[in-house]
Amino acid sequence: MKNTSPLAPRRKSRTALTVFLVLAAALVIISILAPFIAPNDPNATSAANINAAPDGDYPLGTDRYGRCVFSRVLMGAQTSIFSAVILVAATFVVGTALGMIAGWYGGRIDSIIMRLADIMLAFPQMVLAIAVAGILGGGMVNAMLSMGISGWTLYARLARAQVISLKKEAFISAARLSGCSGPKIMLKYLLPCMLGALIVNAATRLGTMMIGIAGLSFLGIGVTEPHAEWGSMINQSRAYMQLAPWATLAPAGATVLTVMIFNCLGDALRDYLDVEAVK
Amino acid sequence: MIIVIGLSFLTYLLMYISPGDPALKKLNAQGITVSEETLAEARHDMGLDKPFLVRYGQWLAGALHGDLGNSYKDGLPVAQKLVHALRYTLILSSASLALALIVAVPLAVLTAVRKNGVFDYIVRFLSFIGNSMPNFLISVLLMYFLCVKLKLLPVIADESVRGLILPCLALSIPICAQFIRQFRAEILEQLGREYVAGAVSRGVKPSVILFKNVLHNAAIPILTIIALSVGTLLGGSVVVETIFRWQGLGKLVMDAITARDYPVIQGFVIFTSCVYVLINLLTDLCYRRLDPRIEEV
Amino acid sequence: MKRRIIALLLAVLMMASLCACGNDADRDDGKKILRVAESFAYPSLDAHKEYYGWYTSIYGITEALFAMGDDSSVLPCLAEKAEVGNDGLTWTVTLKDGICFSNGTAVTADMVIKNLRRAGEENIRFAQFAGYEYTAVSDTALTIKTSDVYPTLINDLASPEMAIMDLDATTDFDSAPIGTGPFVVKSFEPEGTVEVSRNDNYWGGDVKLDGAIFYYMQDDESKLMAMQNDEIDCYTSVTAAAKEIFDASPDKYTVTDIPATRLQFYMLNQNRLSDNIRKAINLTVDCGAIASYLNGTVTAAVGPFGTSTAYGKAVKPAVDTTAAKAAIEAEGYTLGSDGIYQKNGQPLKLNICYYAARSLDSLALLIQEQLKAIGIDSTLTVQEDADATYVASGDYDIALYCMIADKNGDPYYFIDTVLRPDGYWKSAGFESTDAANLIAQLETETNTAKRAELANEIIQLAIDDNAIGCVGLFNKITVAAKGVSGIYETYPFDFYRIGANTDIV
Repeated sequence: MKNTSPLAPRRKSRTALTVFLVLAAALVIISILAPFIAPNDPNATSAANINAAPDGDYPLGTDRYGRCVFSRVLMGAQTSIFSAVILVAATFVVGTALGMIAGWYGGRIDSIIMRLADIMLAFPQMVLAIAVAGILGGGMVNAMLSMGISGWTLYARLARAQVISLKKEAFISAARLSGCSGPKIMLKYLLPCMLGALIVNAATRLGTMMIGIAGLSFLGIGVTEPHAEWGSMINQSRAYMQLAPWATLAPAGATVLTVMIFNCLGDALRDYLDVEAVK
Repeated sequence: MIIVIGLSFLTYLLMYISPGDPALKKLNAQGITVSEETLAEARHDMGLDKPFLVRYGQWLAGALHGDLGNSYKDGLPVAQKLVHALRYTLILSSASLALALIVAVPLAVLTAVRKNGVFDYIVRFLSFIGNSMPNFLISVLLMYFLCVKLKLLPVIADESVRGLILPCLALSIPICAQFIRQFRAEILEQLGREYVAGAVSRGVKPSVILFKNVLHNAAIPILTIIALSVGTLLGGSVVVETIFRWQGLGKLVMDAITARDYPVIQGFVIFTSCVYVLINLLTDLCYRRLDPRIEEV
Repeated sequence: MKRRIIALLLAVLMMASLCACGNDADRDDGKKILRVAESFAYPSLDAHKEYYGWYTSIYGITEALFAMGDDSSVLPCLAEKAEVGNDGLTWTVTLKDGICFSNGTAVTADMVIKNLRRAGEENIRFAQFAGYEYTAVSDTALTIKTSDVYPTLINDLASPEMAIMDLDATTDFDSAPIGTGPFVVKSFEPEGTVEVSRNDNYWGGDVKLDGAIFYYMQDDESKLMAMQNDEIDCYTSVTAAAKEIFDASPDKYTVTDIPATRLQFYMLNQNRLSDNIRKAINLTVDCGAIASYLNGTVTAAVGPFGTSTAYGKAVKPAVDTTAAKAAIEAEGYTLGSDGIYQKNGQPLKLNICYYAARSLDSLALLIQEQLKAIGIDSTLTVQEDADATYVASGDYDIALYCMIADKNGDPYYFIDTVLRPDGYWKSAGFESTDAANLIAQLETETNTAKRAELANEIIQLAIDDNAIGCVGLFNKITVAAKGVSGIYETYPFDFYRIGANTDIV
């Protein structure tokens, strides 16, 4: 596959990485600057403008309370992107670390970690969400918590499977023979090999997480009114799909765009790391 | 076994400390509030006035003898309710998984082989959309276009093939999108390995490399991904089941949670934990068959 | 490859659509089958248990001694009349002549007594009926001796849970109860689809429909689209969005919109809010504006009951934000530079609690906006379970809630539940000796006009004290395809749907 000049793919993957990093950074900047860009107060209701079609004042129309959809999508970027990124990052780090430890050391540590993962994964998430919301109260942080409790298991299982299959590879045995310690082998040799698959998974999970958080607002936990959040915006305006499609499609489009950028970033990062590893 | 008991205890505990009263939920079902005395009597009848550990102990003793108890809501045996719902969930989830795999595997192979081609970009773009659309939106859009606009299918789904199409599509689109991305990543990972380059340089036919080596090696992570999704699928999808009036497990447990129907929730947790344990065993077995390097798991 | 997959999918789709035509076999025979979508479905048809009787009544299978009219009055049904004796405890119920079950057996006073007892034993909400003394005076007359004065006995006898069934001949209460209604069970799927067919022995005369089929559909969009796709003929509790869509095609659909019995209200916590602040809140919340946002699904409320009822005559002051501001300022607050009132550097910030059902999320949002406009800041707290959280703990300034205020044509139930100082809403801290005395009188008063008067007084006291704010009465919105008639669309109660006069042309 890598039969061209060794420099060409590297340059190409670096360009791709730069492009998507810039795009992702742009998203983050937009979400931070949202309060200044938004043309209207995202929470101001207006009885005169219920479900109004897009026009000069409201670039993406208004929702069923007459709130500016465009302003809400902008403001929602903050909540949606940050919560999803934080959630994925946290579960990714915890899950990968635990999975690698389990796979590398095996034995009792492995069984403890994997049984814990099984319990968390087998746990109906709604039970967990309602319990968390009931005990700690509704709200964004608690919704994230109830998603995160089971979220790490995916990475743990993938990382473990990878470590087990890589463990017997020659280069790992070589590293072991040359006296490298377990943690060092894991970080230096194993991690780069499996990062690709894991990162792609993590990137894919962003969309799932955004939607998952929205799903909780379906239950009356999670994001509370009047805060804008894409998933719950889609959820609440879906009844008006036939009357005011913009109120649903705008946050849906924003979600797709964001997920796409982050996914491509994941791909680009994988390609780049891959090239590095080969070098 | 320990997992199952531990899980059931944890669930019981969580439901116990989270606010909500099954007796009140039941009496209040149509928005009519009842007097304190009536409520107290109902709680007594349902055994809710007993201490937490006594209740859990009684339930566990029954469960160990194969009796999962009766639903608070309608007095039916929990096992019967689960079996009924499981049938529906099995139909829907196996159909959806099959559909997702049929579509995802060839697409993933094609996009991986022709990486960065036009076809790759189209499929990836579609998979982004499939991946970032909430289930309820997909369901409603499908229903609107296929039923109302094109008049192809009925809104009211039954168990016929025709009734199954919509819920099955709604459930498999996001899974399929996820599969394509993950499978593609795995195959690419393998294609980048040295043995591929080696085989190419030795003049082995690309198709042989692809089917004999690459797919074989990618099988382990792919199996893990599928196994994970089977677990999720068997839990049932609340949203899809509600929209398409499908009486599966997801809807059963969601209704049970809102009604604080502890015995049904417990039964469900026991069921899902057993499924997970089983799936784990099966995937481990498959790993060993596929990858002789794994001796002990 | 992709094209091939699409082609394959399309082929499957087409094959499937070919192989499954003819679902409507019954209708093709020219039979009149009404297709209805219902938001609830229960696992049993045993009318006496739980709320199952609401649905056997909706399906047209069972009837009670009395029925509720569309003006919330009690009408004769199986019984002609019920009169109370001089002791105030002994009631004589006279049955109509010629009443029979769907199997042809006559309804006797003995059977009615058995039913009332069974309902009392099976249903904890009607437990009082298990302990009363009953005597069959003749085949068509019986007496009920209650233990306490029971002014609303007739109203309770009209509840669908007090259905009269043939207890001797019924072998399977869960799926085939024998009732007196215009329809009999044809097929029953627990928590699923229910089919009924005409009762040829109906005592009330000819039944126009041949049968009906009730689909269990919870999701609002599914109901809307099933209606648009002509898979159902009618359904009730139409959403605001769906109503707008149906209203746009008046040639195809008839939409009926009437104020019903479900009330959205809020309680103001007297342990936390002073008289002036409560007054300011009630003067600010604009129910008319909220109703217009909710787009025809609710009617702005004055008190808890519809204004057409005798006990719905309470009045409340009009929205007046100037007076509201004056009340806040009288409390020592001054308007800060951010537009929010403050006292000693502390902003006026309230906690509004709600749960995400029955449009209470919209209410919370709109009330928050309205309060903010005059300078009251607030946070919204959402709970999954209101009863076990804020209602019990009292951890709120404004608590939103929704309940059926008028369950059987009498005001006592709502007053007893919400306004009794030691009642369900004791956390709100409404205390008034006058109100307590009036409630005690209402408990035993048997004269209907006098009861209405007492109820109006009590509710006026609560409104004047700014203990409560009634926001909206949910409308019962029914949509029907053209040609469907008699589906109880003008009845405010949720437990009637089809009857002998229901028809499609």
